[in-house]
Amino acid sequence: MLDPAFGYLITAGIALLFASAGAHKLQDLDRFAEVFAAYRVLPAALARRLAWLIPSLELCVAASLIWELGRRMAVMAGIAILIAYAFGLGVNLLRGRRDLDCGCGMARDRRAIAGWMVWRNLILAGALGITVWPWSPRPFGWTDFLTVMGGLTAGVTLYAAVDRLLGDVAPKAMILRSTS
Amino acid sequence: MTALAVSNATLWIVVIGLCVALLAVVRQLGVLHERIAPVGALMLAKGLKVGESAPQVAAHDLEGRPITVGAERADGRATLIMFVSPTCPVCKTLLPVLKSSLASERDWLDIILASDGETAIQREFVQAQRLGGFPYIVSAPLGISYQVSRLPFAALIDAQGVLRARGIVNSREHLESLFEAKRLGFASIQDYFEAAAQTRAA
Repeated sequence: MLDPAFGYLITAGIALLFASAGAHKLQDLDRFAEVFAAYRVLPAALARRLAWLIPSLELCVAASLIWELGRRMAVMAGIAILIAYAFGLGVNLLRGRRDLDCGCGMARDRRAIAGWMVWRNLILAGALGITVWPWSPRPFGWTDFLTVMGGLTAGVTLYAAVDRLLGDVAPKAMILRSTS
Repeated sequence: MTALAVSNATLWIVVIGLCVALLAVVRQLGVLHERIAPVGALMLAKGLKVGESAPQVAAHDLEGRPITVGAERADGRATLIMFVSPTCPVCKTLLPVLKSSLASERDWLDIILASDGETAIQREFVQAQRLGGFPYIVSAPLGISYQVSRLPFAALIDAQGVLRARGIVNSREHLESLFEAKRLGFASIQDYFEAAAQTRAA
């Protein structure tokens, strides 16, 4: 049995992640269409035409994750999306296209795909998978509210810190090492 | 129970504080790296040497005109070879910059675009991005002999066939730093700073 505090913490955290990812992609849809086509998992013309579908799907998953009735479906869809991303990243890494723009992060910065992103997606999918377990019917008290809010704040900042460390600082340090 | 709740709340405050501090430190680390990272087009430590003669590669552009890249030129003009690809999003954002450079640097510079892959896709790319003004070479040997590892990549060759600057070019600033490097006679902005530091020391 999964404690509801954990359940809400995981679903709310991943809903936030999906919502921000979808919003960023929608902000610069043309760029995302190029990036998506460059992944070469779909024919280029088709990929460009279907690019809007991905952020919309992400926003749908984010919205239904917090909605009690739609949660089970949203969890399944979320896991599928995360694994699909891991697959797209993995395939391109195996093709040796290590300079491919990952299309993640803020609209402005360009970041190459890397192995850690595959693991990150699989870990997120695994965390989301935990919520499929039946939740224990415990009354949700104000301490649980504290747990969820505190955990969410800590989780978001930690995610941002790790993301910066692996995606921004580490590659820059590598460039510095290779030029000096 | 109250004691536990108070302790729990205190711990949350401390944990969140630590997370925020960690994020701030990591951000600062990124900023620090940006400050000390090389300015201008990124010169790779390995590969062709700036100041030596560039490799000569004979190729044809999409219209079938023969071009010998890296050859000595009688008209005294320099050549910028820009390696791009239809599948590289950053290349596309650089194309308008290249078009404006073609006009503004017209009196001393020719710009050649180079790519690698299927000709049909390249033709489509040239048409879609309106690159008719540039000679467009599709040649794998060209990329290999200029040791292009990442795109968009540029190499600047002067009229004597000497490689003047090379590097990964991500923005207008990077591209202009290549022109600046040629004007100043330094291989890269890094070299310029190094030389400046040496004259100061002497």
